[in-house]
Amino acid sequence: MIHQYMKHSRTTILFFMMLGAFVVMSIFLPDKFLTLSNFQSMASQIPEFGLLSIAIMLAMLTGGIDLSIVSIANLAGVCAALILTKSSFPQLGGYEEVFKIILAMSSAILISLLCGLINGLLIAYIKVTAILATLGTMSIFSGIAIVVTKGYGIQGFPEKFLFIGSGTIFDIPMPLIIFIFSIVIMSVILNRLSYGFNLYMLGSNPIAASFSGINNRGVLIRTYVLSGFYSGLASIIMISRVNSIRPGYGSTYLLQGILVCVLGGVDPSGGYGTISGLVIGIIMLQILQSGFNILSFSPFFKNVIWGVMLILIMVLNFYNVRYSQKLRKLRTEQ
Amino acid sequence: MNGNHWDVQIRRIFGQNESYLLFIIIAYSVLVIFLNPSFLTLENLFDLGKSSASLGIMAIGVFIVLLSGGIDLSFTAIAISGQYIAANVLIATGVDNILFAFLISGLVGVCLGALNGLLISYYRIPTFIVTLGTLNIFHGFLLTVVGTKAINSAQLPKCFKIFGAKNVLTLVKPGGGSYGVSVFTAIFIAIALLSWFILKYTRLGRGIYAIGGDREAAERAGLNVARIQFFIYCYVGILAGIAGILHVSLIRYSNPTYLVGSELSVIAPVVLGGTRITGGTGTIIGTVLGVALITLINNSLILIGLSSFWQGFFTGVIVAISVSLSSYQSRKNVTI
Repeated sequence: MIHQYMKHSRTTILFFMMLGAFVVMSIFLPDKFLTLSNFQSMASQIPEFGLLSIAIMLAMLTGGIDLSIVSIANLAGVCAALILTKSSFPQLGGYEEVFKIILAMSSAILISLLCGLINGLLIAYIKVTAILATLGTMSIFSGIAIVVTKGYGIQGFPEKFLFIGSGTIFDIPMPLIIFIFSIVIMSVILNRLSYGFNLYMLGSNPIAASFSGINNRGVLIRTYVLSGFYSGLASIIMISRVNSIRPGYGSTYLLQGILVCVLGGVDPSGGYGTISGLVIGIIMLQILQSGFNILSFSPFFKNVIWGVMLILIMVLNFYNVRYSQKLRKLRTEQ
Repeated sequence: MNGNHWDVQIRRIFGQNESYLLFIIIAYSVLVIFLNPSFLTLENLFDLGKSSASLGIMAIGVFIVLLSGGIDLSFTAIAISGQYIAANVLIATGVDNILFAFLISGLVGVCLGALNGLLISYYRIPTFIVTLGTLNIFHGFLLTVVGTKAINSAQLPKCFKIFGAKNVLTLVKPGGGSYGVSVFTAIFIAIALLSWFILKYTRLGRGIYAIGGDREAAERAGLNVARIQFFIYCYVGILAGIAGILHVSLIRYSNPTYLVGSELSVIAPVVLGGTRITGGTGTIIGTVLGVALITLINNSLILIGLSSFWQGFFTGVIVAISVSLSSYQSRKNVTI
């Protein structure tokens, strides 16, 4: 009975922590926190860093890390923004706007896939450590974005494109619908497809995975391409929601994304982590985030809190592991 | 027999990363001189030595961390904290002494480094996660508690400016005026030599190589891994503190938002110098040459005719190529 409980303890504890944060916010800030507009703004902010967190989680499951996600999102966003504002296809007449939007979105996705592929090739074939490879490509991708835009922002997109980021269907924000759809697809990939199984195997022990016939290189490349894809998706939502893009936009999402993964129980050394844990982590972070916004904390102070949380969780994990080891030792001695 | 020996010797020299690097530096310098002859003056070289000193000192710290198999992202935040707190304390107390500034900045560095060291050595949290967290904690704390206002040249205590203009060796220009080897360069060389000595001739230094090579083996060989790791992060903290003071003395301006975000430009020369992030391999000379090459490239982009927007892109390309090469080389050696 206790055994059964311990197995799911991590997600359960996390769920209660999330409820706790929600209750605390509701008690102390009832008139500002418990409003429809607050929930709507929360729901439209979650997808951006939620998608980026999924991208980081994928890399973490292999035991690596992807630091380039925000840069990929920037580069893809700049590309889409340039197509939306600079290109023109007068021969298409009334379909011009729709065509431009489709072209912009597909090229943003294509660029993010390509960036992911570059990461994957560096890590899987040249066998560069993930952290260094993505640290390098992070600078390359954002460097290209800066060179292309000369550091200036691009703004003013077509009306129809803004629907992706700020439109609603039955009062549900459009980004949230995209996000829920992505979560469902991701959990199917991780739990039902053989690729997902191989990914967890690779993460927990690459040598054993390789000896049991898993194509490690293929899995790694697919993982980083997928991670790039989710960054690209995040960038489309991001530029559509704020109606502009500037290189360097969203750089705080990297810390928050890693924090959410660790909070959601993803093991940074690979092999362990669930989508459900991640989603609870994302919601919890967003609750805190909007609470801090209502209290008008400065962005610097928020960074301090995120940093402290990140380290605190790791310290708690340390004691948790030590405690469970002690329990196991006691049990074997009996 | 003797000829064979020479053959081996030459092949060893050419097989080393440092030799490649030196060759690239010379080739690149020749290219730059060809495009812009004003590059090759003793004055310009001394200037490069001065402006790269704070980068070089931080790079040595990062080098030691990478050597032990970890990574540090928080050193820029430590450097700016040390610098900004020291400048503020000097202004508040009215003490106008550069040694006092070094003392405060070094103390701040040690304390912050010790926190990193504690978290890494005792709790065994991955170094990347600890230092990403502390980067944000240190910098956020500095900006919320100490302040966000920049200290301009007029407010800055005089000792920084005097220190910044000090030379250990002064030469007189033919047309009047003087130039020389800055005290910055001397400090950088002294720190490089000290670190080289620690790494090469002390038990502690050999221990750093050992835990980078194989942590498990080092532990079984009886090394106190936790204590060595603690030392490493404290040492990086001190170096970052010193680099912070050099930085403010150079630019005569202390802005608490500077430096943070330039982590890659410090990690780049270390990786370029042949240090592997997996630990255990790398030399101080490689790091120093890496610093020289990165400084050269950053300073000559404009001379070649490219705008400074390209700097991030080039740093990234250099890092990607050099890590690819070094991992390719290490695999080639393993298969043989």
